[in-house]
Amino acid sequence: MKETLQVINQMQADGVIGKYAIGGAVGATLFLEPAATLDVDIFVILPADLGSLLISLTPIYDYLKARGATAKDEHVVIAGWPVQFLPPGNELEREAVEQSVKTDVEGVPTRVMSAEHLVAIALNTGRSKDHIRILQFIEQEAVDRKKLESLLESHGLTRKWKQFELKYLEGAHGQ
Amino acid sequence: MGNKEMRKRLAALSFSEKVKILEKLRDRSLALAGAGLRPKPSEDVLKKAKEKRKEV
Repeated sequence: MKETLQVINQMQADGVIGKYAIGGAVGATLFLEPAATLDVDIFVILPADLGSLLISLTPIYDYLKARGATAKDEHVVIAGWPVQFLPPGNELEREAVEQSVKTDVEGVPTRVMSAEHLVAIALNTGRSKDHIRILQFIEQEAVDRKKLESLLESHGLTRKWKQFELKYLEGAHGQ
Repeated sequence: MGNKEMRKRLAALSFSEKVKILEKLRDRSLALAGAGLRPKPSEDVLKKAKEKRKEV
């Protein structure tokens, strides 16, 4: 992972990508216990995002292929890790990248989405594995409930959250 | 150590340490996937296993 992040940081320094943040299961690992995953989700702001309606990942693939990375389905394998580059699909994901948390892997600087953003994105995505991850955040008290509720409200997810609470957290509200 | 306590301890590790665990978990998953399925036991082996269970 260290080498993978070094390549991504260099790609950022070379201007191919803008700000980025690790999301998904690897991102959640900053706050929770490690859980098996086979790939890394990198949410990335592309320089072309500004003022352009068309978003292309081609410059990323070209840059990485020239440096020995291989494309495999929707992933690019960098130093052994399949990486999926995801341009933010909505304002919540864009904000998650902008407000990401600084950290490092063995001295290599990187950024990870905040716990509250990871939970909000998981809620919005809504697959079973996302619900499981939200429950882990709640059980392990790895999320600030007040911050989360405010974030959910600002992105129109309060109703979805209430439904989630009713289904999975009944009796745990306010704990 | 209880399950809850173990999870708490793992969650308290540094990101670098957790990433090392992620890599080990990934390698194990890939090794298992690469090993393929175990060959189906022969009828003779199944019969013997059944007889053994009856004895127990």
